[in-house]
Amino acid sequence: MTARQAWLSAFFFAVMTLFGPFATAQSSAAQAPHVAITLVPETARPAAGSTVTLAFDSRPEPEWHGYWQNPGDAGIETRLKWALPDGVAAGSLRYPVPERLIVGGLMNYVYEAPFAQLVDLQIPTGVAPGTRLPVSVKADYLVCTKEICVPETQTLSTVLTVGDGAIDAATRARFDGWRQKLPRPLGSPATWQARDGAFRLAIPFPGSAPAGDLYFYPLAGGAIDYAAPQTVARDGDRIVLSTKAAATPASGQIEGVLATGAGQGFAITAAPGSVAAIVPAETGVTASAALLAFAGALIGGLLLNIMPCVFPILSLKALSLAKSGETEGAARREALAYTAGVVLVCLALGGTLLALRAGGASVGWAFQLQDPRVIGVLLLLTMGIAFNLTGLFELPTPRFAGRSGAGGAFMTGALAAFVATPCTGPFMGAALGAALVLPPLIAMLVFVGLGLGIALPFLAIGFVPALRRRLPKPGAWMGRLRRTLSVPMFVTALALAWVLGRQAGVNGMSIGLAAALLAGVGLWWTGRRQHGGGERAWWPAVPAIALALLAVALVKPQAIAAAGAEGIAGAEPFSEQRLAALRAEGRPVFAYFTADWCLTCKVNERAVLDTDATRQTFANRNAAVLVGDWTDGDPALGRFIEAHNRAGVPLYLWYAKGAAQAQVLPQMLTTRMLKELPGGETR
Amino acid sequence: MRLLVSIAIAALAATPIAAQQVTGRPAGNFRLMDADGRAVTLGQFKGRPVVLEWNNPGCPFVQKHYASGNMQATQAKARAMGAAWLTINSAAPGKQGYMTGAQAKALIAKEKAQPTAYLLDPQGRVGKGYGAKTTPHMYLIDASGTLVYQGGIDDKPTADKGDIAGARNHLLAALDEVKAGKKVSVPEARPYGCSVKYAG
Repeated sequence: MTARQAWLSAFFFAVMTLFGPFATAQSSAAQAPHVAITLVPETARPAAGSTVTLAFDSRPEPEWHGYWQNPGDAGIETRLKWALPDGVAAGSLRYPVPERLIVGGLMNYVYEAPFAQLVDLQIPTGVAPGTRLPVSVKADYLVCTKEICVPETQTLSTVLTVGDGAIDAATRARFDGWRQKLPRPLGSPATWQARDGAFRLAIPFPGSAPAGDLYFYPLAGGAIDYAAPQTVARDGDRIVLSTKAAATPASGQIEGVLATGAGQGFAITAAPGSVAAIVPAETGVTASAALLAFAGALIGGLLLNIMPCVFPILSLKALSLAKSGETEGAARREALAYTAGVVLVCLALGGTLLALRAGGASVGWAFQLQDPRVIGVLLLLTMGIAFNLTGLFELPTPRFAGRSGAGGAFMTGALAAFVATPCTGPFMGAALGAALVLPPLIAMLVFVGLGLGIALPFLAIGFVPALRRRLPKPGAWMGRLRRTLSVPMFVTALALAWVLGRQAGVNGMSIGLAAALLAGVGLWWTGRRQHGGGERAWWPAVPAIALALLAVALVKPQAIAAAGAEGIAGAEPFSEQRLAALRAEGRPVFAYFTADWCLTCKVNERAVLDTDATRQTFANRNAAVLVGDWTDGDPALGRFIEAHNRAGVPLYLWYAKGAAQAQVLPQMLTTRMLKELPGGETR
Repeated sequence: MRLLVSIAIAALAATPIAAQQVTGRPAGNFRLMDADGRAVTLGQFKGRPVVLEWNNPGCPFVQKHYASGNMQATQAKARAMGAAWLTINSAAPGKQGYMTGAQAKALIAKEKAQPTAYLLDPQGRVGKGYGAKTTPHMYLIDASGTLVYQGGIDDKPTADKGDIAGARNHLLAALDEVKAGKKVSVPEARPYGCSVKYAG
């Protein structure tokens, strides 16, 4: 391009800018380039002293791809040569999160879809409005197909005119879209090690934050063997990524981008250090591992027999066997029926759990206990059993806790297994957790083991007459024992009431206890009628229990309790309008920005922000609290955050009463720091 | 009881380069056919420094160094210092840069190139064995058979001929140091260029 042509095109652009923001590209390549690039300013009328972002809006032809900053095994990064007016300075080129393309065993970090790199231009202060600022850049870049590569050069230009910096909505939306594809700074430092040819990278990342297809793109060579597969394991609040190390590992810090799928990613910096591997759960489970899990479950089930929630039922059943002095065959039949009942319920619970797991729901073994209504029903059930044990009423024979028949035994077993689940949490949690990550068949084996374990003592009594004979002879002591056994049952009910209180609050717990009382009164009345030998002894209990169940069904989980982990109480969602309104009211404002993937944010929230001391501090100052959740990379929030802190979240801002500027607080907060914030009267 | 261990395997399609050569260790021997159909082995040059140059005439980065005469000049200097120069083409049949022996001979004549031999590696065995990733990708093996340099020809990873003048030619620098009995100061550098057009 000759000087005369350049002048002409500059004039042309100047004319066009009068009609609105406008920019275009000119190519000096001999033939049409394989990537159409347009240089787009976010505003064509930037204000003096401000920063204007320019985008290289790039659209590769189908089959062609451009390269990331680190191109991978082959390729080169884009080089820019700027021609800028005096005082205007260009920042470095910011690349969106790339994609991977393996050709012939060689890794390429590329863009196959339209993409945009962004660069910030600093406009000097003191430039008169209306001053024309012609901007020109020569871009050298490589564009390839899977077969061939072409280095291309384009000279792109645009003319900015110093103005008011206004950005029209359509351009803003385009830039928001491009910015959302840039990696966001993760904030928390990562650690890497290269040992014996293996590269491991540990990245702090909250376990609660979702992540898709994780991949680490190193910014420079010397970190990893690009084409080697990367294995990712998550454990609590960290991600450990393993792959083959580069043939000659670098030393010092490693920078790169952790892609989390769907074009999103985080810029990370890793210091050299020691990274322990996460031992992944075995996916190909060996027979011995399966046996071990089965044995563990068996022992666990056996232990459950002495739990307060199961023991009374078992004792009752054993006593009834001893009392009746039944034949050998009948005893065996009852023992087997009981076992069948236990195992089937365990299998049904396990099957439901696996079905839910397959459905993608995140559930644990005690999942049925996360629903307060289930807790309520269990509370009624344990109270009913406890009342029965105290002798308040009698269960008619041959019902489930009764003394005869395989049917009764089966029902008792089923009941024992169902009631046992609340007890499994602390004792069997780990083993069942493992069962959840095991293949379904093995997991079911664990549940069978659990059921067999629960049934084992009863099986022994049923099949070994000697054991049965050693059981004491029936007598008045049985009544005493039965009443004594009601105590652990009441304790179980107490524990369930506590769980209900945790889940549904004081109101929920009160409803549950009232329902238990109602059912109790009904059962007591029934007991009175049974003593009187009356007909239809059960009619008072049936409506009472039905009513109690209905009441329990109305208990709702406490929504606030569940959401309590998010943010601090009384915080409003952040918006610049709300911030301005609050400041106009003359209130001091504490604005904080967080994201589910930000570990430092979560630590601060747990240790400092979500504490009574902090709530008190803000209440004393009549300060409003605004919270911005940047988990999904909201661009409006992103702009605001970036204006205050290049490093992203966490960001803590304190607007003292009447202060013109926000005070940016350190990323690691302390309660004391918040207490000593200036401004804002203390009431 | 949250025991969340999720495993993701990325880039399953990858077939990593099998056996990269380690700088400072003996370079793996190989045997390839040259443009005339004669077998050439690395071992036969023992006692002389050997330069390996990965080549793909269709690649603009290779063209940068041939059209400017830089590669030919480097070949002449290396051979003047007693080195053997083996140009290797690992492009698979049907891919850019693949050549038969006759085509290779025509290329050498046209470019006035001066390799000791132009070797054909259409199956990519030697290329993958050396971890050759780009064209050009350079290797220097000293007289004792030890790999002393691998990487780009110079430190200006562009396709612009204008950058050659100001660049440091890593290969010639390494060869100078080897001849002077010194340790190679830059034993590895980033290779740059087009990817080697292996099969698959």
